[in-house]
Amino acid sequence: MTNVNCDQLIDYLNGTLNDEEQKQFEAHLAECPECREIVDATGELPYLADPVEPNAGMKSRILGTVFDEGEQPASLAEERAKRDSPSPPATMAKRGFRTSKWTPLVAAALLVSLLGNAYAFYELSDQPDAPTAPEVAFETVDLQASETFEGTGTAALVHEEGALNLLVQANQLEPTSGDQVYQVWLLKDGQPIPTGAFTPSQENEGAVFFSLDEDTEGWDTIAVTLEPNRGNETPQGEVVLSAAIDPEA
Amino acid sequence: MENISDALLYERVRGKDKEALEELYDRYEKMLFSYLCKMTGDRDLAEEALQEVFVKVWRGVGSYDEGKGKFVAWLVTMSRNAAVDLIRKQKKPSVPLDEIAEVESTDSSVEETAEWQEKSEQIHQAVRHLSEEQQKMVHLFYFKGYTHETIAEKCGIPLGTVKSRIRLALKKLKTSLQMVQEGGVLDDKREL
Repeated sequence: MTNVNCDQLIDYLNGTLNDEEQKQFEAHLAECPECREIVDATGELPYLADPVEPNAGMKSRILGTVFDEGEQPASLAEERAKRDSPSPPATMAKRGFRTSKWTPLVAAALLVSLLGNAYAFYELSDQPDAPTAPEVAFETVDLQASETFEGTGTAALVHEEGALNLLVQANQLEPTSGDQVYQVWLLKDGQPIPTGAFTPSQENEGAVFFSLDEDTEGWDTIAVTLEPNRGNETPQGEVVLSAAIDPEA
Repeated sequence: MENISDALLYERVRGKDKEALEELYDRYEKMLFSYLCKMTGDRDLAEEALQEVFVKVWRGVGSYDEGKGKFVAWLVTMSRNAAVDLIRKQKKPSVPLDEIAEVESTDSSVEETAEWQEKSEQIHQAVRHLSEEQQKMVHLFYFKGYTHETIAEKCGIPLGTVKSRIRLALKKLKTSLQMVQEGGVLDDKREL
């Protein structure tokens, strides 16, 4: 059964084949049960190691980086630096997101870790039965601009420990005048609730963080309107940015 | 989601389904992290390697299909190679190569621990069927973070010989693992 291709198995596992060779070997692999079975056996090798509990907060950090497609893979050292020198959420709009492409999930994960949430303490407490993978669900959506609006925006929703944390960030916003604010809304079956407002910075950027402790499920739409003033319970201005969100998320 | 095969989840990941990726992450976090910790001897480096693996999975770098064998084996290969690269970049000495360590009890759930113990016993048994030389090859290649070139250099063996020895060792491992698994209880829902 051994042929020239079979001899390349170790180079394949070592990741040292060039693109052409790699393609050829993969074609071989699909046809050669013996090589495939050997490859399959390597999938069991990690069980030779002692089981190690994952680092505290590792899942949030890794998935945050993974889903942040706008940037090159951030080095972990940078992530740690960010984590270790947090700025309060209230100043996020001014201090955090000056770069052209926002990093929503990293930021969301960061915020979650800043907010003194229970599970971080739980993990750090080193309890013997502490769960290794807390229930954290992420969703990010790009907000769609209305026809006449030039701005762009992104929203991140993080379900965690029964709370819904919402982070919205927008760029290239039109400046507001007078009492005008950009108001964020969550909608369920067409019924909105206000979830934070912001005014643009000098760079025409804005961000808002909002946390819901009750009624966290079933939201199907997120929208941003330009309101004539702050504090409206229902929208009075035009919708400028919006997106559907997954009510199951 | 729990009963969906890895391959199907991966297909969903290619369609940018975040929940599917999270599910795959949950399935293999501990296994890969434990492996990477043993290989690098460093929790932070292990996390960095694991991150690179999942960034690649998400971006579709080196895509997977069932013609390449089991998904988990594909992940292990990527994990190994990510760790080899990081170890090389950091010029960090990898952990000393000891005898195969016995599994210690840890702080996991009973179910998780039981699954780990079963898998662990199987692979340990399979490894015991290998000659000392073959065990050494597997450990240098998979746990010490050596490339086959490094093994050739360190052991003073021609590269071609190293490759064929690793291949033979893995082939034997495959055969003995199959024997062990057939003799024991197989419970691998993930690969149905």
